[in-house]
Parts: sequence; C-alpha cells; structure tokens
Amino acid sequence: MQRLMPKIMLNFKDVVAAYGEINVLQGFNATICQGEFVGLIGPNGTGKSTLLKCLTGLLPLKSGEIMLEEKNNANYSQRERAQLVAVVPQSFDIDYDFTVEDIVLMGRNPYLSYRVKESRKDYDMVTEAMRVTKTLSFRKRYYNNLSGGEKQRVIIARAIAQDPDIIFLDEPTSALDIHHQIEVMELIRNLNLKKSMTVVAALHDINLASRYCNRLILMKNGQVVVDGTPKEVITEDNLKKVYDMKMFIQENKLFEKPEVIPLRVIKETETYHSLRIHVICGGNKASQVLEELEAMGHHVTAGVVNQGSDDWTICDVLGIPMVEESPFTSISLEKQEENLALMADCDFILISDLPFGHGNINNLSGLENLSGSIYFHKNCRNNDFTEGKLSKRLSDIKSKKQLVEIDDHQEFLEMIKKLTLIENHEA
Amino acid sequence: MKSKLKKHAMLISIIICMIIIYLCTLMGVTSISFVEANKILLNQIFHIDLGMENISVGAIAIIWNVRLPRIILAFVTGGALALCGAAYQGIFKNPMADPYILGVSSGAALGATIGIILKFSSSFLGLNGIAILAFIGSFSTILIVYNISRVGRKVPVATLLLSGIAIGQTLSALISLFMIFNQDEMSQIIFWTMGSLNGKGWNQVIAVLPYVILGCVIMLTSVRELDIMLLGEDTANQLGVDTERLKKKILFSSSLITAAVVSVTGIIGFVGLVVPHIVRMVTGPKHRVLVPFSLLFGGVFLILCDTLARTVTAQEIPVGIITAAFGGPFFVYLLRKRKKGGV
Repeated sequence: MQRLMPKIMLNFKDVVAAYGEINVLQGFNATICQGEFVGLIGPNGTGKSTLLKCLTGLLPLKSGEIMLEEKNNANYSQRERAQLVAVVPQSFDIDYDFTVEDIVLMGRNPYLSYRVKESRKDYDMVTEAMRVTKTLSFRKRYYNNLSGGEKQRVIIARAIAQDPDIIFLDEPTSALDIHHQIEVMELIRNLNLKKSMTVVAALHDINLASRYCNRLILMKNGQVVVDGTPKEVITEDNLKKVYDMKMFIQENKLFEKPEVIPLRVIKETETYHSLRIHVICGGNKASQVLEELEAMGHHVTAGVVNQGSDDWTICDVLGIPMVEESPFTSISLEKQEENLALMADCDFILISDLPFGHGNINNLSGLENLSGSIYFHKNCRNNDFTEGKLSKRLSDIKSKKQLVEIDDHQEFLEMIKKLTLIENHEA
Repeated sequence: MKSKLKKHAMLISIIICMIIIYLCTLMGVTSISFVEANKILLNQIFHIDLGMENISVGAIAIIWNVRLPRIILAFVTGGALALCGAAYQGIFKNPMADPYILGVSSGAALGATIGIILKFSSSFLGLNGIAILAFIGSFSTILIVYNISRVGRKVPVATLLLSGIAIGQTLSALISLFMIFNQDEMSQIIFWTMGSLNGKGWNQVIAVLPYVILGCVIMLTSVRELDIMLLGEDTANQLGVDTERLKKKILFSSSLITAAVVSVTGIIGFVGLVVPHIVRMVTGPKHRVLVPFSLLFGGVFLILCDTLARTVTAQEIPVGIITAAFGGPFFVYLLRKRKKGGV
C-alpha cells in the first residue's frame, strides 16, 4: 500500500496536442507522484516525445491541462519550469567546442541571470553532479570528443546540476550499447532511490523498462492503454494490442520481472490454406519450425514430448495440442497410441531433428499405418543411439509408404508454404 | 605562464588596439612628419603644448578632423559588425550568418539610392539626408522581415533567414531598376554600396556610437544565454532560456547597430562574417570571450583595411573591396590550417 499521501508532481488531464491538424495526443491522462520511476512505453509515433514537448512548454495544448506541482504548466516561465523539470534527450551532438564542464554548468542557467553570476555554490553543485555521473575525470575535455555513453552521462550531469524535482528522459539508451544502457539506467535508478527524484522515462526497450521502472504507462495513439506495475502492463494481450505483433512473455527469474521476447510481426499480406500437421519432437531443435507452422495458421499438433524439454515449453506457450510424458521417462506404447490418434487425420507428419534412443524410439511405431505423408530429418541418423532399431523402424515405414527425407527444417517449411500459400491477386 | 597570458589577454589586446590606432593616425597620403603629428595629438588630446607655432592649420585639421575620427569610426564600425555577426551566428546556429543576412544592407542601399536620386542633401544633427534615408530603409526592412516570419508569438529561425534573403533580393532588384532609369547617379550609388569611410568625421562617430554602446551592453548581458542557444532552441528552452525573447532582443539590438553603421559607411562586407569565425578559432565558442574579442578584432581589422584603402594608391579604394580581398583568402587559409573551434 502507499505510504501516507505522496505529493502529486505531475497531473495530465485530458491532454490533447496537435501538430497542425493531426492530433498526436488524444486525451492523455496520468498522475505522477513524487519518487516514482515511470516508464512510458509504446510504439513509435504514439506521442511520447510530444508529451515531453507539451511538458516543457514547446508545444501548446489544444485542450486539457498539465498541472506541474499544483500549478498549471502554461503559467510557468521557461526559467521557473527549468528549475523543476530537467530533460535528458535521446542523444545529442553540438557543433561547437564546449568542454564537459561548460555543458554541465549550463544546467545552472535557470538560477542565474546577468545580475546573478555563478557562485561557489553553483560550482559545487556542478562538481557534485559530475562526481555522481563519473564525468569529473574528463571535465576539461571537449564534449564532442566523448563516446556515446560518456556524452549521455554528461547530459545527465547537466540535468542533475539543474537541481530539478522531476527528470524526464527521452529514449536515454537507444543509441547506446548494452554496457552503457545498463550504466545509464542504473545511474537514473540511483537518482530515483537516493535523491528521491521523480523520473519519467520514454523507453523503447520494454525489458529495460520492466526491469527498472516501478510503474509503466503503455501508450497508443496518444492515449493510455494500461497504467500499472510492470507485471500488470506487460502481458501478451496488452502488447499484442499495441505493437501489432506476436510476442512471448516469460518471467525473468533473475529480476523477477516480466520479460518480452518478440517473435514476429503479424503479417496480413500472406494467408495460407490451413493443414493439419503433426511434428514428432521432444528435444530442443523443433521450436522454430513449430512456431512458424503455427504462425502460418496451420493446425499443428506434437508428440510425444517429455515435459520440461524446450520443445514442450514452446508447445505449451503457443497452445499447441500435444501428447505429453513425464520428464526423463521412456515413451510408453500407451502414449504412442494417443499420439497416433492425434496423427490419424493429419496431412503431414514431420519427424523433426531429434536424437533417438531406447527411450523415445516408440515415437515412430505405427507410423506406417497413417494416411498423411511423412517427412524425415536426415540428421536423426547422426544422433542414433538405438543400436539399429531406428534403421529398422524406418525401413518398416518405407516398406508400406513413402518417406521423404529432408536436409533441414527450412526445406519442409518452404514445401508447406508453396503448397498452401493463397495467391493475393490484388498484388 | 599560459594562464597568466590568458588572464591578461583582454588588457593586452586593448593596448595593441591603441597602438594600432596611434600608428595608423600617423600614416596617410599627406606627409606630416612624425614629430608634428605627435605634437598635434598631444595638444589636442591632453592639451600639452610642445610648440605648435610651426605647425600649419591644415596639418592640425588633417590629423584631428580627418584621420583620427575616420580611424575611430573604422574601429566602431568594424567592431560593431563583428559583434553583430558573432551574435547572429549564435542565434541562427548558422556559420553563413552575417549582420546583413536579414536584408538590413539592401534596405539601407535602397534608402541611400532614393536619397541620391532625389539629391536629398538636407542634413539633420550633422548627418546628411542620404544617411538618414538609409537608416530608415534598413530599419523598416528588418521590421518587414520580422513580421513576415512571425507565427503568433514565435519567430522560426529558418523562416527568418529565408524571408530576409527574399526581401533582400527584392530590394536589390528595385535598386537596379532605379539605377537603370537614373544612369547619371549610377556610379555614385555603386560607390555607396561598396562602402567607404572617406570624408567621415566626428559627427558620424557621435551619431553611431550610442547605438553601438547600447547594442554592446545588451549583448554582453546575454552571453550565457547565447552560449546555451548554440545547443539548439529546444534544449535552450529546457534550460530555462526564453528563446523567443532572446531572439527578439538580439535581432532588435543587432539591427539597430547595423542600421546605424551601414547608413553612415555604406555596405562594408566580410567583417561581420569572417571576424567572428577567426576569433572563435582562437577563443572557442563561449560568448563571454567571443563577443568582446570580436569587437576588438573587428575594429582593428577594419582600421588596417581602411588605412590600406587610403594609402596604397592616390585614388582611394572603397574599403569594402579591401576587406573582401584580404578577409576571404585569410579565412580560407585559417579554415584549412585548423578545422577547430566549430564553424
């Protein structure tokens, strides 16, 4: 539960903003309290940067209002606002030779004027900001000669020197490698925790957002779709709605936060006749072929798979019907009966790249009586631990019906694609 | 040692300026001896009499009423143009910006052209009618350009530059048209547009000085904000700079200075473009240093060019030709030598 009543720092009320005629923000609502670390996520063009422009007074609102520390944002002067809100832009180049210290000192501008010169206190704050961001060691170097990560830290130092209540970051990590991404995010989290600075960060990387923010606001078309903790926001349903793509969400066990694995963009241009396809799998190589077949819209089944194997996980996540067996247990003939029942009216059966041993050779029994065409991955022969049973099984099948041998899964996918693609005559 | 030099750089530069002013006063087509010239200067400035009886009234007039005011006007003009150039390059974030970029010069030229054609010779406060018309022309041009570019409360920089160029071109076309129909005055108009300090005296110095001083004060109070402006307008806003107000302030003061200077001297090109770049290569981009040094160096540069203009040949060369002839190649040399300081 919330501690006492936290101070409301920012309150967006039905904010509508537009470039010309096109409304980018269409009724954005959110209340942000002191000490929160809020991540704004959502696809490109949903208005995250526009929100920043409105907040910093660069873009007037069409309707609605933004309350900044209980006063209407429109009534602040640039100077007053800059004392409350600091902005860290995406990445930032300048054409002039300013030193790191020059740039950080500019953060003190909202407190200075031609009558008020930089004082000892201002220099102390600048030094402190550079110390916190580990930029002090190169204070005399030219900003332009720094690396991307160093530049970003200098800009954060400038924001700290501004001594703001709220710090707004616009894609602070999108131009950085993973080392610098984590470095920058940790720096920001420290500010949030140690100085109880309120942080609002527009982020593209959902996993970073999920890991560091304690609250996420998922946006689309200039509106809030969901607002809540990472666990509440990062669900397949929410993300599919917003990003229009298929993803796979699992719990990251290290951080105990949801983690997104993007799978594929949902294609609307290609459609396929639906077939019934059964994949015999159970190792760790069939994930991709299962996923792609499923994505093409085929009715995919699998079996017999041992619970806990990689292929089993994928089937489980994608909701592919399968015959299961307990972990590390030999496949019994009863299970294989179930498997055969599942395969009975299949059009295709794929024996995927899978090591065969005494435990799973039963997977191949009875295949010769099925009506569907059978495809066999040649590589299985290289992982044959059955002492001749595999070859015998295969020749048994071959004696009754055709067994097509393939070199890789891609070959099978291409074949299925060619067979089932519905030509788009409009194209 | 080096930091000590840096600390006193301003003082040293001022002293060098004074020495140059002094030396240039001694030089001229009319030969006045070194001793005579010094006696005249001491007498006029410090009222120290070292025996003036042998010195002709003509010599006194040449030193005191011709050379010295002309040199001081050259200093003020050059300094003012360089100062405005530095400020414009800052707020426009454009290395091609110079004080004339918003059409001030074309406006002044049109005013002067009209004055010359109408043989407008009446004078006011010691200034002739042509200068007054030129001032009116240049200042109203700025007002037109500003109002064309204004969108509500804001003045987008790109629009400002484009409308400045458009209006400038239109006015130049008008000037050409006037010249075609008034071919007798053509050479006088052309000479005016080339810029010259010939025949300028204390009146002109006094007329120009208040604007220049006012402009300097305004700019020196905005140096920090001008620095931040170099990071881009959005960033400047986020750092608490009221960019629209700053732009207005700089536009207004630069226009006032440039209009005053141009209406008196004609169009002296290149100083306002090149000098700030040269100074920036040495001092770096910070306006706190850039602005005063541009003023000093611009002043000295124009004094030297003008001294050449009046001494090299018997026929005086318009100083605008000299500034361009020396400034251009010198600038190219510096650019190639070190691409530093941000251009």
